[in-house]
Amino acid sequence: MIGGLELVVGLPLLGAAVVALAGRDDRVADVLGVGVGTVTLGLSGWVWLAGYHASGFQLQSDVTWVRAIGVHWRLGVDGLSGPLVAVTALLSWCCMVALVRRAPSCGQRRGIVALVLLIEAASIGTFLSLDAILFFVFFELVLIPMWFLVADWGDADDPIGRRRAATRFLVVTVTGSALMLVAFLLLHQATGTFDIPTLLKVGGEIPRHTQLAVAVLLMLGFGAKVPMWPLHFWLPDAHSKAPTVGSVLLAGVLLKLGTYGLLRFWSGVIPLGALQVSPYLAGLGVVGILYGALVCLAQSDLKRLIAYSSVGHMGFVLLAISTLTRQGRLAANYANVAHALITGLLFFVVGAIKERVGGSELTTVGRGLYGRAPKLAALFAFGAVASLGLPGLAGFWGEMLSMLAAFSPASALPSVPYLVLMALAGIGVVLTTSYFVLAVRRVCQAAPELPALPDIAADEWLAWAPLAIITVLLGLLPGLLLWAGTSP
Amino acid sequence: MPVLFPLVTSSLLFAIGVYVVLARRHAILVLMGVELMLNAINLNLVAFDALWHDALDAGQSLSLFVIAIAAAEIGLGLAIVLLVFRTHRHINVDELRELADRDDTLASAADGAATS
Amino acid sequence: MTLSVLVALPFLAALATLANGHRSVRAVQLLGCVPTFVAFTLALVLGGEHWGTASPSSYVGDSIATGGIAITPAFRLDQLSAAMLLLATGVALLVQIYSVAFMGKDPRYPTYTALILLFTAAMSLVVAADDLFVLLVGWEVMGACSYFLIAHYWEGEPSRQGAAKAFLMTRLGDVGLLFGIFTAGRAAGTYRISGVLRAVADGRVSTGQATIASLLILCGVVGKSAQFPLHSWLPDAMPGPTPITALIHAATMVAAGVYLVARLLPLFQLSAVAMTVLTAISVVTMLGGACFALVAEDLKRVLAWSTVSQLAYMFGALSLGGYGPGVLHLLSHGAFKALLFLAAGSVISVVGSQRLADLGGLWRAMPVTFASMSVGLAALAGLPPFVGFFSKEGVLGLAARDASDGSARAWLVLVAGLLTAGVTAAYAMRTWLLVFFGSPAEPAEPHAGAREPALLMTGPVVMLAVLTTAGGLAVLSPGFLNVAAEPWRPVTMVLSLAVSALGLVWAYVGWRRLHEGDPAGSLGRARPVLVAEMRVDAVIDAGFVRSAWLGSRVSASTETEVLAPYVRGTDAVMQLASRGLRWLHAGYLTMYLAAVVLGALVIGVLAALVQR
Repeated sequence: MIGGLELVVGLPLLGAAVVALAGRDDRVADVLGVGVGTVTLGLSGWVWLAGYHASGFQLQSDVTWVRAIGVHWRLGVDGLSGPLVAVTALLSWCCMVALVRRAPSCGQRRGIVALVLLIEAASIGTFLSLDAILFFVFFELVLIPMWFLVADWGDADDPIGRRRAATRFLVVTVTGSALMLVAFLLLHQATGTFDIPTLLKVGGEIPRHTQLAVAVLLMLGFGAKVPMWPLHFWLPDAHSKAPTVGSVLLAGVLLKLGTYGLLRFWSGVIPLGALQVSPYLAGLGVVGILYGALVCLAQSDLKRLIAYSSVGHMGFVLLAISTLTRQGRLAANYANVAHALITGLLFFVVGAIKERVGGSELTTVGRGLYGRAPKLAALFAFGAVASLGLPGLAGFWGEMLSMLAAFSPASALPSVPYLVLMALAGIGVVLTTSYFVLAVRRVCQAAPELPALPDIAADEWLAWAPLAIITVLLGLLPGLLLWAGTSP
Repeated sequence: MPVLFPLVTSSLLFAIGVYVVLARRHAILVLMGVELMLNAINLNLVAFDALWHDALDAGQSLSLFVIAIAAAEIGLGLAIVLLVFRTHRHINVDELRELADRDDTLASAADGAATS
Repeated sequence: MTLSVLVALPFLAALATLANGHRSVRAVQLLGCVPTFVAFTLALVLGGEHWGTASPSSYVGDSIATGGIAITPAFRLDQLSAAMLLLATGVALLVQIYSVAFMGKDPRYPTYTALILLFTAAMSLVVAADDLFVLLVGWEVMGACSYFLIAHYWEGEPSRQGAAKAFLMTRLGDVGLLFGIFTAGRAAGTYRISGVLRAVADGRVSTGQATIASLLILCGVVGKSAQFPLHSWLPDAMPGPTPITALIHAATMVAAGVYLVARLLPLFQLSAVAMTVLTAISVVTMLGGACFALVAEDLKRVLAWSTVSQLAYMFGALSLGGYGPGVLHLLSHGAFKALLFLAAGSVISVVGSQRLADLGGLWRAMPVTFASMSVGLAALAGLPPFVGFFSKEGVLGLAARDASDGSARAWLVLVAGLLTAGVTAAYAMRTWLLVFFGSPAEPAEPHAGAREPALLMTGPVVMLAVLTTAGGLAVLSPGFLNVAAEPWRPVTMVLSLAVSALGLVWAYVGWRRLHEGDPAGSLGRARPVLVAEMRVDAVIDAGFVRSAWLGSRVSASTETEVLAPYVRGTDAVMQLASRGLRWLHAGYLTMYLAAVVLGALVIGVLAALVQR
C-alpha cells in the first residue's frame, strides 16, 4: 500500500542524485536545487494539510521491507509531524535560494546543493516514519551529509577546526542514536514489533522496568541531539564552523529530530517510564534555559550566541514535553516550529554579516550596524525580538504554552517542582531578553566606527522574507498551529 | 589402507606449510607454504571422502574447488610478487611495510617511488 | 467591525511605512497621519456608541485550543475602553502631526512613524481586549515599540542605556503578569476578562487565588507603569524623541497599568493583601516621584518623575476601590501630560537643550508655548479650573471619605496625596520659573534666535491646552464614563488648595531669594540625596544586574573549564586507544600471518572444548 508520501521523501532524494551526477555546470545544480526545493515545498504543504485536522495517521503507506525482523517501509503523517515536514521543506527551499548566489567559497556548489537535498529528504523521512527501524535509518542518514557539509563547506579560514567540529557533532549524535537503537530493540523485545502505531497502542503493557530503561535511553539518545544540557557541547562548535545553510538546517531541522523523537515515543509508547523520568527531563530542560541564557550573556561571538540561545529554546521544548499533557505536546510542537523559523532567520542574518565582515566575533563585526547596513541590522533586531519571545511573534506562543503546560502538568506528576521550574523558566525569559538586548546594543546601536556594509540584496530578501513573514503570521494567528483535533 | 597414513601425511604437509609461511622472508617461498597448506587440506578432504563413501562425493568436489582457488591465488600472488620486485628490487616481506598505519607511511611510499 | 479596522489600519500602515517609507518623506507623513486620523474618527464613533449608560458591546472570535483553557480573540468595548481608545488615538494623532515638523528632517523618520503606528495599534488592542492573552500581546508589543523608540537616537549612550533598561525592567514585570494570567485563568476557568470578573462576582474565585493572581499581575503593572520598585526606567527613557515620550511615556503606555488594574478591580478587591500592597506602592511612589521631580535638573526628567508620581495617584485611588476617580485622573493626566511633553518638545527643539540650567526667559520669545505650558503646569499643580484640579480632587475626596470611615489605608493615601500635592505645586512652579523667566544659568547669553516653532507643532499643543482647560466640564458632567461622581468635600478641597499654594509660594520665594536661581537650592542637605534618587538604581544594580553577570561568568567558565576538559578528555582517550591499536597494524606480514594461525588455533581449541 502506497500513500503518496514517498513523493515528498523521494523527490529531494532523486534531486540529490541527479545534482550530484549532473556534471560540472553549477547552473544545472542551481536550477535543479531551487526547482526540486519548490516542488517539495508545495508537496509538503499538501502533507501538512493532510495531517492538520484529522486524527490518527494519514496518507499511510505500508510495504514489508525486511520480513525476517518485521521491518516495514511505513510512512504516515499526523498533526505532530505535518508542521515539521512543512518547516523542513521551507527551510530547505530558503537554503536553495540562498545557495544560488551565496554558496560557501570552499567546496563545489553542486556538492552542497546535493547534500542539502539529501538532508531534506532524510529529515522529512524521519518525521514521516511510522516504523522505529525506518525512523532510525533516516535519522542516521541525516548525519552523514551534515558531517560533509560542516567539514568540507564550513568556515573557509579554519579547515582543521571545521573538521574537528563536524566530527565531534557526528560522534556525539551517533552515540546518541546508538542508545536510541538499543531502546528500540528493547521495545521490540517487549512487544515484538517496530511498528509505531502498534507501539502506541500496546505501549502501556510493557513491563515497568523495561519502560524505565527505554525512557532513560531515549532521554540520553535524543537528548544528545536536542541538545539537552549537559550534552550540548557539540552545538556551539558545529554552528560556529558550519556554513550558513548548515547552521540553518542544523538549528532548524536537525535539533527538531531529537525533540520530535521524544514527542513521538515519550508519553505514548512508554507512559510509565516517561512518568518517572520526566521530572529529570524537565529539570535538565530548565537548567538548559538558564545556562544557555547566562552563557549567552558572556558570549562574544554572534554565531555561538545564537547557538547557545538554541540550547535555551530547546529547554522550553523539553519542559513542555516533560509535562506529559496534550497542552505540553502542542506547546512543544509550536515551540519547535517557531524556533526553526526564528533561529533559521537569525542564522541567515548572522551568516550574511559574517560573510560581509569576514567573521562573527563582536569585535570583527563592529558596532553601529543600524548605520552601516540599516535593513540588515533591523532584520537582526527583528529576529532578536522574535527569539526573546515577544508576544505577537511566533516565539512567544511556544514559550508561553510551555510554561502554561508546566503550570498544570499531568496529574501523576509532582506539581510543586513543576511550579518552581516554571518560575525559573520565567527568569530565563528575562535573561534571554537581556542577552538579546545586549547583543542588539553591541552590534546594531552606537555610532559606526567601521565602514558601511552592502545591505540586504534581492536574493537574500527572497530567501529570508518567508521566514520573517511566517514568524509574524504565526504570532498573530497562533491558531494556525494549535488546533482542536485529537492528535497529536 | 588405514586412514591414518593420509592424515599423518597431510598434518606433516600442513605443519611444513605453516613453518614456511611464518619463518621464511622470501615472498615466493611464503606463497609455496600457502600452497602446501592448501594441498594438505585437499589430501584430508579426499581421504575422508573415501573413508565415508560419501554419496555426493562432497570431499572430492570441494577439493576441486580448492585446487581452482589455489590456482587463482597463486596467479594473483605471483603477479603481485612480480610487480613488487619490479618496484622495490627485492621481495623480502619484512621490508614491505607500506601498508602499515604509520604517520610516515606516505613519506616512505614517496621515498620508495623516488628510489625506484 | 469598526474596532477591527481601528486596530488593523495602523498596523497595516506601519507595515507599509516600513516597506516603502524610505522612498518619500511625503508618503511617510501621509501614512503617519491619515490612518491615525481615521482611527481617531472611528474611536469617536465608538465613543459615541458607548456614551453614558450604553451597555458594553463585545466581539468574540473563534477560540484557539491550547490543550487546556482556550484562548479567545475576544474584544469588549465599554465606557472605559472607548474613552481610552479616544485618548490613545487622539494623542497619537496629535503626536503624528507634531512629528511631521519635529522629526521631518530626521533620516530615520520612516521607522519612527512606523513604530508609532504599530504602537497605536497595540494600545488599541490592549484597551479593547477581552482576553488576557490578547491584552498581553498588545501590552508587550507596546513595550517593544517603546524600546525601539527610546533607542531612536542610538548613537548616544544614554539612549541605548535607557532603552535597554526600560525593556528589561518591563519584561521582568511582565513575567509576573504572565504567571498572574495563568493563575487567574486557572481560578476562573477562562482567560476572558469578562469571564474572570463574572467568576469573581459569582464567588468562584477564592481569596487565596485572588491574592496570588493579583499580586502577580501587579508585578507587570508596576513594571509597565513605572511604580516602585521598578520605577527608575521611566526617567531614564527620556533620551528618546520628545513626541513619543508624550505619547508612550506619559499619556498611554504607562497608563496601561492603571487601566489593567481598573479593569480587574473586582479581582483585586477580593484580596486585602493585594490592595494593601497597592496602597503601599502608590504612597511610596507618589511622594518619592514628586520629591525627585523637585530636584531633577533636566526638563524632561522633571516631567518623567511627575508622571511616575501622578500614576501613583491613580493607583492610590484604585487601591481604595475608587474606579471612577482613578480612571478620570488617568484620562485627565493623559491630556495635560501630553500637553506638557509636547510643549517641552517645542522648547527643546528651539533651544537645543533640555537641561533646566540652559533654559530661561523664554516667555517673551514663545508666547503660545508659554501660555500652553502654563496651562499644563497649572493642571499638574491641581489649580482650578483646569482638569487636573477636578480629577485630583476626586482622588483626595475619595480618600477623605474612606478615611472618615476609619480606614487606615485611606488615611495613608490622603496624607501622602496632600503632601504630594504640595510638592507637585512646588516643582511645577519651579519648572515654570526656570524655563520661562529669569535667564539661563550657565550660558550667560539669552536665547536670541528663539521663537515659536512651526504651526504643526504649536497646533497640537494649543489643542491639548484647550482640552486641559475645558476638560473639567467633561469630568464634572454627570454620568461621564457611567460612574457616579464623587461628592464634593469642601474641607479636603480647601486643604489641598492651601497645600498647593504653600508649594507655589515656597518655590517662588526660593527663586527670588536665590536671585532667580533654582529653588531646589534651598533644600540644603536633602538635595544631593534626592538628586541621587535615593540610590534605588544602585540597589537594583547590585541585586539583579551583578548577580546576572556573576551567573553568566560562572556558566561561561563552566563551559570552558568543566565541560570542555571532559570533551577534550574523551578526544584524548580515543586518540590513545587508536594509537595502541595502530601498533598492531605495523605492516609485518609475518606478524599478521602468525596472528591468523594463532587465531585459528584458539578457535579450534575453543571449538574442541565446546564440543566436549
